[in-house]
Amino acid sequence: MVDTATKTGGYADAAARPRSSLKRLMQRKSTIAFLLTLPLILIIASLVVYPAFYAVHLATLSKSMTKFVGFGNFLFLFKRETFWMVVQQSCVFAISAVVFKALIGFFVAHFIHAIPTKGQRKWRGMLLVPWVIPPAMSTLAWFWLFDPSYSAINWLLVHMGIDPVPFLGNPYWARFSVILVNVWFGAPFFMIMYLAALKSVPDQLYEAAAIDGANWWQRLWYITLPMMRNIISITVMFSLIVTFANFDIVRVLTAGGPIDSTHVFATYSFLLGIQGGDIPLGAAVSLFMVPILGISAVFILRDITKRGNEA
Amino acid sequence: MTATATFDKNGSDRGGPTRPVHQGSMSRDRRRALFWSYFFLMLFVIFFLTPPVYMFITSLKSSTEIAGARNPWWVFDPTLMNYQTLLTSTEFLTFILNSAMVSVIVVSVTMIVSVMAAFALSRMRFWGSATLATGIFLCYLIPETLLFIPLFKMFAVVHQFTGIQLLNKWYVLLLVYPTLTVPFCTWIMIGYFASIPKELDEAALIDGATYMQTLTKIFIPVALPGIIAATIFAFTVSWAQFLYPLAFTTSTDQLVLPVGIVTTLIKGDVYNWGQIMTGALIAAAPPLVIYAFLMDYYIAGLTAGATKG
Amino acid sequence: MTKAKLSRRQVLATTAATAAALAMPYVRGAHAAGKVTVGFWDHWVPGANDTMTKICQQWADKNKIEVQIDYITSQGQKNLLTAAAEMQARSGHDILALPTWQPNDKAAALEPVDDIMGELIKQNGDVNDTVKYLGRKEGHWIAVPATTGSQFKGPCSRIDLLKKHAGIDVQAMYPAGAEPKADGWDMETFVTAAEKCAAAGNPFGIGLGVTSDSVDGVGAFFSSFGANLVDEKGDLHAKSDNVRQVMEYMKRLGSVLPKDAAAWDDASNNKFLVSGQGAMILNPPSAWAVAKRDVPAIAEQCWTHGMPKGPAGRYGPYLPYFWGIWEFGSNKTAAKDLLVHLSAPDNVGKLVAASGGYDLPSFAKLTKFDTWAEEAPPKGTLFHYPDPYLQQIKSIAGAPAPANIAFQIYNQALQTKMVVRYLQGEKLESVLSWAESELEGYSRT
Repeated sequence: MVDTATKTGGYADAAARPRSSLKRLMQRKSTIAFLLTLPLILIIASLVVYPAFYAVHLATLSKSMTKFVGFGNFLFLFKRETFWMVVQQSCVFAISAVVFKALIGFFVAHFIHAIPTKGQRKWRGMLLVPWVIPPAMSTLAWFWLFDPSYSAINWLLVHMGIDPVPFLGNPYWARFSVILVNVWFGAPFFMIMYLAALKSVPDQLYEAAAIDGANWWQRLWYITLPMMRNIISITVMFSLIVTFANFDIVRVLTAGGPIDSTHVFATYSFLLGIQGGDIPLGAAVSLFMVPILGISAVFILRDITKRGNEA
Repeated sequence: MTATATFDKNGSDRGGPTRPVHQGSMSRDRRRALFWSYFFLMLFVIFFLTPPVYMFITSLKSSTEIAGARNPWWVFDPTLMNYQTLLTSTEFLTFILNSAMVSVIVVSVTMIVSVMAAFALSRMRFWGSATLATGIFLCYLIPETLLFIPLFKMFAVVHQFTGIQLLNKWYVLLLVYPTLTVPFCTWIMIGYFASIPKELDEAALIDGATYMQTLTKIFIPVALPGIIAATIFAFTVSWAQFLYPLAFTTSTDQLVLPVGIVTTLIKGDVYNWGQIMTGALIAAAPPLVIYAFLMDYYIAGLTAGATKG
Repeated sequence: MTKAKLSRRQVLATTAATAAALAMPYVRGAHAAGKVTVGFWDHWVPGANDTMTKICQQWADKNKIEVQIDYITSQGQKNLLTAAAEMQARSGHDILALPTWQPNDKAAALEPVDDIMGELIKQNGDVNDTVKYLGRKEGHWIAVPATTGSQFKGPCSRIDLLKKHAGIDVQAMYPAGAEPKADGWDMETFVTAAEKCAAAGNPFGIGLGVTSDSVDGVGAFFSSFGANLVDEKGDLHAKSDNVRQVMEYMKRLGSVLPKDAAAWDDASNNKFLVSGQGAMILNPPSAWAVAKRDVPAIAEQCWTHGMPKGPAGRYGPYLPYFWGIWEFGSNKTAAKDLLVHLSAPDNVGKLVAASGGYDLPSFAKLTKFDTWAEEAPPKGTLFHYPDPYLQQIKSIAGAPAPANIAFQIYNQALQTKMVVRYLQGEKLESVLSWAESELEGYSRT
């Protein structure tokens, strides 16, 4: 705030003076730009970049943090069966959750778009609720719905004559449950983004297609999808990152169990680093998220830039 | 106001892809499409709303009724006792107050920082600006689960050298939350500012406006829907954050709402799910209310930002 | 300023200690100013925290010292998170409640308490081996066993259901106010009863999850079969006959436990009992206390008693809590004094009463409080909770392995995971090989 105020003042003065040379203008422009971005740079440098490097440093120390072991922690992890299970589960969790979120979001957006405009607001409002509730809180509700002794879902199943399901007790059901809750939480975000994108597709395109006799699927495939390609990339990318780093949902719902089958990187590193008191090993596990996310980010970023250049 | 008007206009002018182009009688196709749309929307509404509704149902039950294990979907003896207990407990009111203070301050700081930075990054190419834009994006590759131990140690060092105690104080969250909100909001605002026609600000500059005037007189008003969208993002994130407050604050009077609920209401063996669900519902209320009022702005903002960013 | 005060305080303390000589060196009326910050365990029994606050306040008033208390829950591992964070930051509370393995794990940052432990053992009687195993490192006491939070997780049975389904009268076996007649209460009887109750629709509620209730319970079965995965010297015995034996037993028992036992947390067994489904759980009296609050009819049928006898002895799952003093704390002398105050028999009695008998002091002379005999309904339901006739070996899962390995066995819930893997159809040989490779990883330094 203070920065802005002084800059504005200073600039007004400068502007009031007779025109200065182009070079000086350029200089001033970059100075202002730098000052405008300075708070951002400070926040990121001191509270993200620095601690991140510090974490890298931690990951190279021995358990007692007194000795430098280089890649020792990573080599140790490579030899552990549980670690590879976590890698596998993190990938399965993130990819399947994002795919289902994107699909559900896409179709729900279409359904909303298909009904008369008058009613859209109401439906959209209701369907957005999961995304607005803090995830730690809504996961508690799911936990309570899945509770072994008081499960309200199993109560319904039993009354329909179906055997109760051990939602959190069986490894496969537990994996299903954490993905389900993640999809439930994230799908509305996709829905709202896709709905926004759908609304921006020019009607003329559809009119032209209708005149040419295109059916619903053709319109979807040849008009809607290409027009939405950008937004799909962006939402998928962000969701992939957030889902990969997810902590709350798995932690509250299963805490990684049963038999480690639902651990993702974040919960496993918490287990090793905080609960297990092996901070370097925990840091090493969480560092594994970075390259995986980096690769996906590079791909999607390239795609966006390419699209951007074509446009 | 402007944004709402724009949105309403868009809303009424534009039709869906499955709508008939020519004004005619409702075709059978159209009616069938409508039926299935409503059918599936209904299904998804049930799926999406079951947990909050169940929260609400549970919040009306006494622990005796819950332990009785009768029909969990029905309230036999509704009671507001859980709400009364929570809303008269000083502890719980402190959580609400802490959450509100943290969220409001973080949202303000975030918006100032990210609007300024986004303006510079989208319009004023300078040395390193491209790198910085990529750098903001890369922040998302560093999860908070990786950062909280080194951050904790940093705060301890700050205490050691300056005497400023940050740990176990609610205001430490003012420092760490922006790391979660600023990059994303800047990212949104860059996309949004980029969609403003260059002619607009070039004309203003030629007319002798300063950069700051361009920002406050042109960019901010035109990009208002985007700013509101980013504000909502920032609010949602700071209201819902869980890991950082869990790690950095322990005293009951310093806790924010989500952590307060999880750490004071859930007592392991002596659970009281009626109160837990009530607390969760109360924690969910402010974002829901704000959302209900600003939804239209939000969507209008996203429309422009998303399709062009 | 603070520093000056502190050193004055320390001088006073030393003088007082010398002066008091043989008497309790840390109880005195020193009028030193200062402040002690404490992070206690947030008790699950309502009202227990208030009693703790009152007892601390008495001490504070007497010594003119300000005490600031935070109650930190163990739910979501918040207490472990706090301990790890404070050790890293070398700042935080002066005294922190540390569960089971934490003293050993955090030993490097804890103030030795040999002096006050010597006094306390003289005053309150000796402590059991598990407490010594957990509270000492390299021969030195590094934490004081806490009354608050220390618990015994023996069976809590439904009198009616066990009688009806399995023909076992637990009240006759463990009569209130008298010595148990439990010679026939062995592993075979136990698993047969479990099978009968499960067949009748009221299974035993023993968790196979990764939180402490499950780990403690399964750990006691391992100990009862002498199935120590790692011995005192750190040698692995994952493939020993005893381990195979307990695995077979657990498979038999596990197959009659609830289907989602593998996902149970510390509250699941309580809910299972309170909802009326379970015939027995392994838990401290908190489940019974909840039943008393919400479903009194079930509470009246609950009876807490001892564990069944195994081939290697009668082992009971025991989970002690400790109070540790950070060596970087700013007021260590006062902190020690407060801990002595909290361990005075009178105050321990108050804490036990406030917790409804949940808290179990570790000192030998402190196991005969009236609370356990008086609590009702039914009268005497908790009489055998503190094991008044010392018939059980109080054990902790993972023992007797060297503490750093045992801590990992416990924290990673290795034993319950082995059981769950075997239950879910994996071959015994492959389960044991997996366990062996995990154990090799635990010895990391």
